[in-house]
Amino acid sequence: MTDRGIQLDDVTVRFPTSGGEQMTAVDQVTQRIPERGFVSVVGPSGCGKSTLLGVIAGLQSATSGRVVVDGRVVTGPDRRVGLVFQEDSTLPWKTVTDNVRFAMQIAGIDRAEQRRRAREAIELVGLTGFESAYPSMLSGGMRQRVALARSLALSPSVLLMDEPFAALDQQTRLLLGAEILRIWRQTHQTVLFVTHDLSEAILLSQQVWVMSYRPGRIIDVIDVDLPADRDASVVSTREFNQLQNRVWESLRAESLRGFRQESGVGA
Amino acid sequence: MTVGHRAEADPVTHPAAAPPPVPRRRVWGDGPRSALATAALLVALGVIWEVGSAGRLWSPEVLPAPSTVFPALRALAGDAQFWADAGRTGTEVLGSIVCGSGIGLVVGVAFWKAPLAGRVFEPYLVSFYAVPLVLFYPVMIVLVGLGTPSVVILASVMAAIPMALNTWVGLAAVPPVYLRLARSIGCTRRQQLLRVALPSAAPYVLAGLRLAVVYALIGCIAMEFTTAQAGLGYRIRYLYDAFETTPMYAYILVVLVVSITLTVLLAVLERVVMAGRSQS
Repeated sequence: MTDRGIQLDDVTVRFPTSGGEQMTAVDQVTQRIPERGFVSVVGPSGCGKSTLLGVIAGLQSATSGRVVVDGRVVTGPDRRVGLVFQEDSTLPWKTVTDNVRFAMQIAGIDRAEQRRRAREAIELVGLTGFESAYPSMLSGGMRQRVALARSLALSPSVLLMDEPFAALDQQTRLLLGAEILRIWRQTHQTVLFVTHDLSEAILLSQQVWVMSYRPGRIIDVIDVDLPADRDASVVSTREFNQLQNRVWESLRAESLRGFRQESGVGA
Repeated sequence: MTVGHRAEADPVTHPAAAPPPVPRRRVWGDGPRSALATAALLVALGVIWEVGSAGRLWSPEVLPAPSTVFPALRALAGDAQFWADAGRTGTEVLGSIVCGSGIGLVVGVAFWKAPLAGRVFEPYLVSFYAVPLVLFYPVMIVLVGLGTPSVVILASVMAAIPMALNTWVGLAAVPPVYLRLARSIGCTRRQQLLRVALPSAAPYVLAGLRLAVVYALIGCIAMEFTTAQAGLGYRIRYLYDAFETTPMYAYILVVLVVSITLTVLLAVLERVVMAGRSQS
């Protein structure tokens, strides 16, 4: 089945700005993520990474072009696509278990199956023992694990993550990054991971896309040929550093341009 | 030296080492203690009231001693007139709470769904808030007559306003990521509202309900005071006019008990709804 995975065909997204002009957030992106591939997107803030993710998730529609997930054109939200947000999306009035079950309830999965899958997903993200805790009692990293478990419980074939660790401290990020890798090896989803952290991108993925500041184009695609079973210790190797320099080179000019425009220097 | 040692010896601060928390569902909180404190305060006030009356600090015509008011209160229990009045006021208050908060909830949701309508009507709603709506009671009497409906309609409007404003504010404060989550997992619009947005706004909605209950009670009693011909408010004014101070105070106590009961019920509801949410 060659058509599984994510296929982006000439995807363009434009927004009207307050000045009455059009802002191109995503510009003619044509890329492919093979089934069970793990791809990271890096780029300066405000470059349209999240927009691209939103289009693949079916939360917003592309101005032109199309997105194909597992052979079907995306026209709206789809349960085969799991989404983990940057912000804390755990619902504070539900316990960990009820949060994980919520997506399954909406999907109409029967109760016994819900309980079984919730238990498995909670175990997978390492939250066993916290089933009846409320999010307010958990740390930020644990809440993101809950959100991840909620997505995984629907057993999606595609997992989209929008800077899920952005609000966490560096140590937690590293640990959760390693967890993501471990989980991905177990579940074999096709993953698109948005981040602004280069080492995170290289550590986790098989391929890194570099996105430009407005209009958001994929300006570089870098294959990460590090061992598949790598862990956080790979960060200190020469190969890792070379890759990081390579990505940074592509990114530097764009980041500078984005910074100038955002701070109004170029205007 | 001691600092470094302490940091290592304290596994609780490390999230991974934290023990599974015990679910806190203490709906009653430290209820027994606060109930005891309240009881003690009431007893103390009763003693001051009794001693003050006995010592003639004020005339018994102005404020009779509890030892005369409480028997009058007990006599009310066997008084058909009292039950008729209480029934009428109870119906009015309950009707106003249900209609008012229901209308308020729907209006709040509508304003959230249609932000333009919200922006247009908000100033009127806010300024309506400041208007003593009891003023319109004579107009209501002309329109629908002297019965229960005129009271219920006005009191409902009074109750609906804070409910609508609070619901609206609460819905506007729902974190956008909750709604994106709801859409991403395939919630229908109805599910987005009922399963995500309203539960998220529940603390605000409850605050609105609290105000709605207070306004409904104030509205009903105040309107009975002015022109109605039955109800607890009407009876209090009637007894006042007739210089029957002792039963008047018995009636006032009844109204107090009703309002305190409603407040306690709301507090219990709030504890249940707020279970698990971060509280300071």
